[in-house]
Amino acid sequence: MKAIIEVKNLSFSYTSQSAVLGTPYGGRLPAQPILKHITFKVIQSRFLAIAGPNGVGKTTLINLLCGQLRAQAGSIIIDTAHIESYSVGRLAQKVAVVRQEFVPIFDFTVAEVVSMGRTPYLGTFGFEGKTDRAVVNEALEATDTAQFALRPLGSLSGGERQRVFIARAIAQNTAILLLDEPTSFLDLKHQVGIYDLLKEMQLEKGKTIVAITHDVNMAAQYADEILLLGADNSYYIGKTKDTFKPEQIEKVFGVRVFTCNIKQESFFLPLGKFAKASTHIKSKLNSKQEK
Amino acid sequence: MGQVLTAKSLVIKVLLCLAALTVIMGLCTLVGTQKVSLKRVLAGPGSSPGENIDYEILICIRLPRVLLAALVGAALACSGVVLQAILRNPLADPYILGISSGAGLGVMTAAISGISWSFLGGSPIGFFAFAGAMVTVWLVWYIGHLTGKSQVTSLLLAGVVVNAFFSAIIMFLTSIAKSEQVVSTIFWLMGNITGKNLSVLFVSAGCILTGIIVLFTISHRLNVLALGQAEAKGLGVDVARTRIIAFAFAALITAISVSLSGLIGFVGLIIPHGVRLAFGPDHRQLLPLSAIIGAAFLIIADTIARIIVAPAQLPVGVITAIAGGPFFLILLARYSRKVSWLK
Repeated sequence: MKAIIEVKNLSFSYTSQSAVLGTPYGGRLPAQPILKHITFKVIQSRFLAIAGPNGVGKTTLINLLCGQLRAQAGSIIIDTAHIESYSVGRLAQKVAVVRQEFVPIFDFTVAEVVSMGRTPYLGTFGFEGKTDRAVVNEALEATDTAQFALRPLGSLSGGERQRVFIARAIAQNTAILLLDEPTSFLDLKHQVGIYDLLKEMQLEKGKTIVAITHDVNMAAQYADEILLLGADNSYYIGKTKDTFKPEQIEKVFGVRVFTCNIKQESFFLPLGKFAKASTHIKSKLNSKQEK
Repeated sequence: MGQVLTAKSLVIKVLLCLAALTVIMGLCTLVGTQKVSLKRVLAGPGSSPGENIDYEILICIRLPRVLLAALVGAALACSGVVLQAILRNPLADPYILGISSGAGLGVMTAAISGISWSFLGGSPIGFFAFAGAMVTVWLVWYIGHLTGKSQVTSLLLAGVVVNAFFSAIIMFLTSIAKSEQVVSTIFWLMGNITGKNLSVLFVSAGCILTGIIVLFTISHRLNVLALGQAEAKGLGVDVARTRIIAFAFAALITAISVSLSGLIGFVGLIIPHGVRLAFGPDHRQLLPLSAIIGAAFLIIADTIARIIVAPAQLPVGVITAIAGGPFFLILLARYSRKVSWLK
């Protein structure tokens, strides 16, 4: 099995100079280590979910993997070549990114936005050819966005828009798909819809998927492997079942969780002090902690 | 799939618009305070100057003026399209990076120092306007990059500040100078299309058309840049390079227009928006169509400026501002509503 992404000993810290291309971190204080000596591999056609509390560098890691940021130490190998050996255009043929929601300033239609996924393949004058249009159509169909192809992006709901951005990433026709919280802001039905779509892309098209998520249950149900980033620069990587253990989740997120097992599958429910169920399980957890 | 622009559909639209532009050019050449007989014009120039007055009015006076208006209109509209895209600001116009005040300062300097040599057979005003504009754009670009690498906001701010500062200097110079020295400058600041020496016209036309073609070749990248820098890079666009090309050529064609005809406002703002509303935001289409429609708009505005208070003439900038001001306000209301709806 071939590793398509190999991260070796990667370290990154934000300095005033690392304000690369529109990332909103330009103002951070100098030399605050975000990622420290991280090493992991992603096998081709696998689904890796990245989880962890806010501010541990999940988005930073995605930005490093797509060449938006440059690491101070360590290396990233994308499809057997060092990430820095790729030109911007060539890398865009290998890696597609879906970021947290944004709206373009002009009223582009859905079809136009998805067509932009073909940018890395266009010639001098930048017109899509027959193949490009076929790929775009296919991406629209696969994401079920063809129905509003002619509508302006701004007129869609959050869930529909997210599907459009995934369609654009699919039209980019890359082996690797990076997603930064693809289901934040979405209702339950659309969350499941997006994960099903991603899984379909993985199983049918053989795409490698790396997605940041805050939803540990969704990650547990869909991902093959989990990268759990902790606040103290610690990290755990491995099969979903090995990574998502109640103790591990409680430690990394710093929150009490109630675990519910359905056959082989574990579900985690975070419980705060005032949560209604907290009163019922308090004794159980307390006694566990006392042991 | 009909919804996405194809090269073929673009060519058809451009040809149709060019045909319309040609008709407008022809009609506007015929309109004027002096009635001209087309039959006599077609008879060609007489053997001696002054023999066929109709021919001379139409071919030697009106036609170059119409061509000049077309050229300036196209350049300003294209520059507006490009700057709105790379600054990601729908209210940007060709003068936003300080070109207007830079050129104004150049002209003012020329007027006050009493320079009277000629350049390419034209007046030194054009040359000084061009030089002032280019120096200012460079200055704004430099200051913008001192504060933050590749941040468009700092570039915009630098443009605004330099504009304000140079405008203050212009006002200072105006108040200390003798009135006869500044009359021509004030007239120039209002935007004026007057007859130009043919060689100046040809050189400018060459530069502006080249600039528009270069900008067209990066237009599909402008689409992606409108999504944001990070998105553009993720889609394989070399953001820094695209931005430099866009700024350099937009500044060049604007500076040439300013040197030809002074400050003509609103063309670079309202034409891109009008075309975007009618044809959509795809820059591969927006750029060429804005060029053609901008040309037509300025030709018509200049024709009105020629005849509305005949025998006197209005500066064309007055017409574009009167037409453009209300349009701009409508636009502003529209966009602010849209923004609040998005949040």
